[in-house]
Amino acid sequence: MSKAASNAATGVRQSMAWIHGWLGLLAGWILFAMFLTGTASYFRPEITRWMQPEMDLRPVTAATAADTAVAHLQKVAPTAEQWFIYLPDARTTATRIFIRERPNPDPNAKPAPRRDELRLDPATGEEVTARDTRGGEHFYRFHFQLQIPHPWGRWLAGLCAMAMLTAIISGVITHKRIFVDFFTLRWSKGQRSWLDAHNASAVIALPFHAMIAYTGLITLVAMYMPWPIQANYKDPATFEKAVFGAEPDAEASGRLAALTPVAPLIARASQEWGGGAPATMVVRYPNDAAATVTLFQNSRDRLNARGGSIVFSGVDGRRLSTSPPPGPAAETSGVMLGLHMGSFAGPVLRWTYFLLGLAGTAMVGTGLMLWTVKRKRPGAAPFFGIRLAERLNVGAIACLPAGMAAFLLANRLLPATLPARGDIEVSIMFWVWFGLAALACVRPIRRAWTETLAIAAAAFLALPLVNALTTDRGFVRSFANGDWLFAAFDLAMLATGALLGFAAWRTTQKSSRPARKPRTAPRGASALREAVDAH
Amino acid sequence: MAARAFTAIVGGYAAAAAFVSLLARIAPIDRAEATIWAMTLSFLVYAGLLLWAFHETRLARVTGVIWGLAFGSAGCLWLLGPAL
Repeated sequence: MSKAASNAATGVRQSMAWIHGWLGLLAGWILFAMFLTGTASYFRPEITRWMQPEMDLRPVTAATAADTAVAHLQKVAPTAEQWFIYLPDARTTATRIFIRERPNPDPNAKPAPRRDELRLDPATGEEVTARDTRGGEHFYRFHFQLQIPHPWGRWLAGLCAMAMLTAIISGVITHKRIFVDFFTLRWSKGQRSWLDAHNASAVIALPFHAMIAYTGLITLVAMYMPWPIQANYKDPATFEKAVFGAEPDAEASGRLAALTPVAPLIARASQEWGGGAPATMVVRYPNDAAATVTLFQNSRDRLNARGGSIVFSGVDGRRLSTSPPPGPAAETSGVMLGLHMGSFAGPVLRWTYFLLGLAGTAMVGTGLMLWTVKRKRPGAAPFFGIRLAERLNVGAIACLPAGMAAFLLANRLLPATLPARGDIEVSIMFWVWFGLAALACVRPIRRAWTETLAIAAAAFLALPLVNALTTDRGFVRSFANGDWLFAAFDLAMLATGALLGFAAWRTTQKSSRPARKPRTAPRGASALREAVDAH
Repeated sequence: MAARAFTAIVGGYAAAAAFVSLLARIAPIDRAEATIWAMTLSFLVYAGLLLWAFHETRLARVTGVIWGLAFGSAGCLWLLGPAL
């Protein structure tokens, strides 16, 4: 390489290191929360089931679940405009239904209040009554809406995802020795250790991190980047029709006609999809001569998360239309969506997703730590920006897990019949998270780390105990009964508590160690970064 | 720095959006496919523009290229009008 080219390469690495540091810091705290709650969301249905321990439903076939749901809806809402039926699978055991009433023909009448989503026992079609909770849905929604009113939460999440994608690209360019760093982790060496830990967690799962940032943007691409649709189509509905197929739009005829049995439609759809199962059934104008039944394919047994749909006549079961087969671009974007959500993953791959998500969380967390640690000069009082960053690090890295544990503890400790208890559980998570972060601000920084991490650890370790005392599905019984969801949940909580406890212990260890001087002159990427930081 | 950050974040988004929309409009393939490719690849274009905006030392050049790309592409789109 010529000298000029080498200088140019160094220049690029310097500017990329600078961008990487600032992007990572500014988006880091939100990204940490998105990563951690998003990682938990790989077990969204399992968390929901854990949070409703009184509900223990046996799985049935999709056809049975559809039949019992339709029978229930015929009793409670035979003349609705639309029935939405979300069929259960092996992981989500309950059928969910949602009814949309016909609008009142009198234009002066008040619109009918929106009906709540109901949950049914798929075997009987009876409504299940369990404690009110948002369940795993809360972590899932939070990880891209950030509990900020629509649409701002999603825009902020998108901006942070964009920062992450850019930080990954600049991080790779900054990095000279990507293969070596895979194997390098030096403990108890201050800044060096944080850099090693950041590099290791980033490099080990680099393809996952890049994939998850990019595909995360794709999940909301229609909101973030609708402009190509505007450039090609006068009416965006034309685009949707071309990609997803025509939705039934006929008006109700006003003539009564019995609804066709739905089980045969499911069998035919499954045959057409080569064995794929439906996830959602939408009945439009049930018991009307213009009734239609639309079946949407689930994303469990395929990489492309956007399954096809088939529209049947709701009177004689004729197949009316189907969604067009996806072209290469539609297939690509559907597969990206599937890769992000991982609904196709079986147990082993799901746990792998979970661990990779934790590696991503660790990458963001260690990056945040590195930013503050390497800017502190020995002997000098840290300036305001560093102290602020340190406090925000405590608030994100130690206090968010404590808040998540509090959310789960509240689920067990609040009375099951308390009104609006689902909302109270969510409030408790935020009060504990932000309250603990505020309290930690009045403590010396080292003590703040130890105490908040210890509280988070204690909260997680308490979960199996509280679960055993407040439900009849404690660890001993769930282990004996082969109730693996509950047994695994307890073990996961113990492991999380142990990890946080270890972190709390480490923060007490380091303070007793004398600060070490680097024995050798820093080399490579870190020398570069230090040179850049000196500006 | 504020001007650079504004050009990078807001201008970069505008430039990426307008540029990929123009590509989607003129690509000689199926309209829906061209639209989805453009939407999917837009984030890489945006990421590239963001990084370059902070790497290039001459601010005038950054401002000119990014806003030029944004307004140039948007102008072409305005002249072409929607295809369907």
